[in-house]
Amino acid sequence: MSMETGQQANNGEVYLLIEKIKNGDREAFVTMTRLYQRKVFALAYSFFRNKEDALDIVQETFLRVYQKIEQFKKGRNFQNWLLQITKNLCIDFYRKRQNKDHYLNEGMDISELNVRDPQAEETHNASDINRILSNCIKRLSEKQRMVFVMKQYNQLEYSEIAQILNVATGTVKSLHFKATQNLRTLASPYLGSQS
Amino acid sequence: MKDCQKIRKDLVAFLYGELDQDDQMRIKAHLDVCSFCRDEAKELGFVQKESESLIPELSETMSSVDWETLPYKIADEVLKPEPAPDSPRLKKTWFFHVQPKWRPVFIGLLFGIIIGSLATSLVLRTPNLQVARSSELIFTSDFLEKADLEVARRDTLEYLEKSQYLLLDFVQSSSEEFTGMWTNEVALQKARDLLSKKKFINSQLDKFHMAKAKKICDQIEYLFYELTQISENLQPEDLKRIRDLIQERQLMLKIKLVKKELKNSEV
Repeated sequence: MSMETGQQANNGEVYLLIEKIKNGDREAFVTMTRLYQRKVFALAYSFFRNKEDALDIVQETFLRVYQKIEQFKKGRNFQNWLLQITKNLCIDFYRKRQNKDHYLNEGMDISELNVRDPQAEETHNASDINRILSNCIKRLSEKQRMVFVMKQYNQLEYSEIAQILNVATGTVKSLHFKATQNLRTLASPYLGSQS
Repeated sequence: MKDCQKIRKDLVAFLYGELDQDDQMRIKAHLDVCSFCRDEAKELGFVQKESESLIPELSETMSSVDWETLPYKIADEVLKPEPAPDSPRLKKTWFFHVQPKWRPVFIGLLFGIIIGSLATSLVLRTPNLQVARSSELIFTSDFLEKADLEVARRDTLEYLEKSQYLLLDFVQSSSEEFTGMWTNEVALQKARDLLSKKKFINSQLDKFHMAKAKKICDQIEYLFYELTQISENLQPEDLKRIRDLIQERQLMLKIKLVKKELKNSEV
């Protein structure tokens, strides 16, 4: 995966930036945003598959970071803390949208979702597969989806995801397994001929 | 078979290289000999591979974002001064953050409060319902009418009572006593006071149409008038004439009846 994530900063540099931000240094805030904006965007976009939504989440994430910067304790992994905020915002945003749009995914049995589309053709091109997979990922539960996109598109390790989600590493492993298995079940009617 | 169940739970972690080296080797060895688990790994690997097809789309979208100016835009938004109380941002926080399904309830409540306030304001502004200021006493015309009637009733009752006593003295006294009594200035003064009183209650009797009381009061007035005129040269035949007049007209009885009637008609 070739994805620019900005130059990496070591913990010392990050803590220095945080101290400056606490003192109201605008340039430090801009530098911090520049360093992590791509990671935040990648997570939000993987979750929503919508550029505008992802950009809203990026802005809201850095607003929250600025508001909560006093709560950040030295010694913690800043990136994990930041992505934890992003994850919470994604879930909040998703739930609000779900209420608004009356999405039916939540709480629905997986077998109910696994219905072959009568309009579906036997063969699919690349853009069809993308669309199908996007829809299937959207149908995963919040946690499964979050673990899957963090692993698949943000290339985070299980231990990092565990810190962000505040769960055990074994739970992440289990959620990742269930997410992949459910995706296989959901997508098999469409991808069956190619598997 | 027991091994297979255990292995399958680790297959995804194996495909993503998340297991330690020993576990990676253990699963690889199992897949070499177990075709069922190998097929399972192949299918899960297919999902992994196909999911990677979304990565170019992510990269393409990311390349369309202006990463250079975005941090400054965010900084402008985040570090801008506190919004004024009526700014759109603040408005958004109280109403738009309410779940859409509750918004009609909030709007209904708001309308209720506005209509209730207007109705209360309208009621309080109605003159008849205004509360009197503590320094003022406001009486209705009906109340004042009743008060006047009560005053007239009591004045008439007092006039009849005093007249009754005076006439009783006159009727029951002998000729000598009577002559002595009416030459006495006190009795004469009482009769004159009652004549003055009668002039005062005349307007009240007329105003409240107390016809029966007025008739008897007029007769008493006439009698006292006669007595005060002739008291100095009162002759026995005058005395008899006046006594006969009182008896003939049953004046004492009529006074008694009117008094009783007035007492019962207290307002």
